[in-house]
Amino acid sequence: MRFCVCIKQVPDVAAPVHTGRMVLNAYDASAVEEAIVLKEKHGGTVDLVLVGPSGATETIRKALAMGADDAYHIIAEDHDKLDSFAIASMLAGFFEGREYDVIACGKQAQDTDAGLTGPMLAEMKGLPYASNAVGLDIEGDRLVVTRQGDSGQEILVLSPPCLVTCSNDMNDPRIPNLRGIMAAKKKTIESLPMDQVGGNVSPRSQTIDVFDPPGREPGVMLDGEPNEMAGTLVNKLANEAKVI
Amino acid sequence: MARVLCVAAVQDGRIKRSSLEVLTHFRQLCDRSGGAVEAVVLDPQPNQFVDTLQKYGASRIFLVAGDAFGQHLNEPVVRALESVFRQSGADAIAFASTESAKDVLGALSVRLGAAVLSDVADVDVRDGDWVATRPVMAAKRHARTKALTTPVIVSVRAGSYVASEAPAEADVVEVSFSDDEQARRPEIREVLVALGGTVDLSEATVVVAAGRGVKDNEGRQLIEELAEVFKAPIGATRAVVESGMYPATSQIGQTGKVVSPDLYFAIGISGAIQHVAGMVNSRVIVAINKDPDAPIFQYCTYGLVGDLYKILPSLTEELRAAVAG
Ligand SMILES: Cc1cc2nc3c(=O)[nH]c(=O)nc-3n(C[C@H](O)[C@H](O)[C@H](O)COP(=O)(O)OP(=O)(O)OC[C@H]3O[C@@H](n4cnc5c(N)ncnc54)[C@H](O)[C@@H]3O)c2cc1C
Ligand SMILES: Nc1ncnc2c1ncn2[C@@H]1O[C@H](COP(=O)(O)O)[C@@H](O)[C@H]1O
Repeated sequence: MRFCVCIKQVPDVAAPVHTGRMVLNAYDASAVEEAIVLKEKHGGTVDLVLVGPSGATETIRKALAMGADDAYHIIAEDHDKLDSFAIASMLAGFFEGREYDVIACGKQAQDTDAGLTGPMLAEMKGLPYASNAVGLDIEGDRLVVTRQGDSGQEILVLSPPCLVTCSNDMNDPRIPNLRGIMAAKKKTIESLPMDQVGGNVSPRSQTIDVFDPPGREPGVMLDGEPNEMAGTLVNKLANEAKVI
Repeated sequence: MARVLCVAAVQDGRIKRSSLEVLTHFRQLCDRSGGAVEAVVLDPQPNQFVDTLQKYGASRIFLVAGDAFGQHLNEPVVRALESVFRQSGADAIAFASTESAKDVLGALSVRLGAAVLSDVADVDVRDGDWVATRPVMAAKRHARTKALTTPVIVSVRAGSYVASEAPAEADVVEVSFSDDEQARRPEIREVLVALGGTVDLSEATVVVAAGRGVKDNEGRQLIEELAEVFKAPIGATRAVVESGMYPATSQIGQTGKVVSPDLYFAIGISGAIQHVAGMVNSRVIVAINKDPDAPIFQYCTYGLVGDLYKILPSLTEELRAAVAG
């Protein structure tokens, strides 16, 4: 099948905020991994598309090094002002006239946790979709998706063209090997100016400010023998915190 | 402020508490500013929920009956909500932020031409402006986000508000819904329901969560005994879900569920940022870890440094006595 994975470059949430380290969104890395696994098993192609500033090329190279084929970079220098709607609109413009069987997205971006772009794009393109996939497979000409719901999992069958959003619980993305890295260096990334892609890029929401949440009160550390700690804790839960 | 349509999510034959929290919040906002709060239920038999929704003060209740809603498919839900929203003439539609809601928000917003504020911890409407506070960067930071257009779709994290009753007489409107055989939609092959607790993690007042420190059946048994004291559901980290020790529905964190109980036990959990994102708003956090430098201790209310296999037996016994007594 012909896959196209929408990838986003995000700040590394596990690094201290001030480092500004940028990485491939973990959920998108899982989407790339799964598409490549299916390509290895059933044939097909895996392309990539990213909307972001020029500096995001590094992230595209990383995904190419995992084994993807062609990559498109929609250049949006002030990407931070764009919300999921603006991104989805741009992607809808990008996909106009391009034929893919499956568009794969991450279930959410690790920095904003919005989780909107995939289903928005599916609706704009009139595609059936499944969100929060934890497993993908191909049966004949159909895509089989296991999705994680609120109280269980659902196995869904989709007929391409279709869209799926992926959870990182689906797999562990491969670390590119030297051969992959060398091959990725030789690939050309087609860059597309934002205004050539089409689509309505006016965001429908705007972030006013970002701040540190109120911190938690420092905790109390208990020590001693297990039974002493247990006794102290129960006492505190009952009389201090009053939760039991 | 004008009219807000709240989507009442049904699970195991009742309205989810998180939906009642959302209904309560908007009822209170509307009471203050002269609007009205309405509710919609999609279910094979939606009539059974009218009483509950009246109790929580919905002024109008839309009932959409359809067998399709007994399954988890996005296409019929999006189509039904679009039609109810247009019929109601409301200015906004509000959800509890469940996995089923996340499945439809984006598509619904495109259909309605709506702005979306998703997974918010707080939302307010001032002079017609919708502004929400959203945890971002795995809940390390909070963002204030404003809707630039109307209508607005909002989804609210469980536990952000307290549900309270305010009985009112509601107009009940039955909306007809017919399945669209031609619709392009996924076909459902199988539903795999996780075994175990029926208490919903995101609604529980006590959660007992296990991490990789819980290594074997003996450890699992100890966790179960502690949970049993409170009839609490068991949560888990990604590490022990991945290893197959706990079902995926018990995962708490950025990928998993967000919980905010009164009491959270983090047992053998290191406190990785992606786990903390899902539990940091718990009122009281008890952490048990043998590593005094484990990051979880930065978030806990009470920290016990030691071997969980040694601590849990006496702790469970003491708690059982205290809870019974
Ligand atoms: C995009 C992304 C999303 C993620 N989403 C989630 C998510 O939703 N939820 C989640 O949980 N994780 C998530 N993770 C994974 C997360 O980063 C951590 O890997 C995971 O939370 C670690 O789980 P743990 O604490 O059980 O294991 P570990 O980090 O291995 O910690 C085990 C702890 O147990 C302690 N211990 C060991 N033996 C004992 C003993 N006998 N007594 C007491 N203590 C003991 C150790 O000291 C250690 O601190 C995500 C990661 C990524 C990249
Ligand atoms: N700038 C972007 N470029 C390409 N894909 C994106 C971009 N932003 C979001 N996406 C895709 O949409 C998913 C969900 O993003 P979000 O709606 O922001 O949570 C991501 O995991 C990506 O697959």
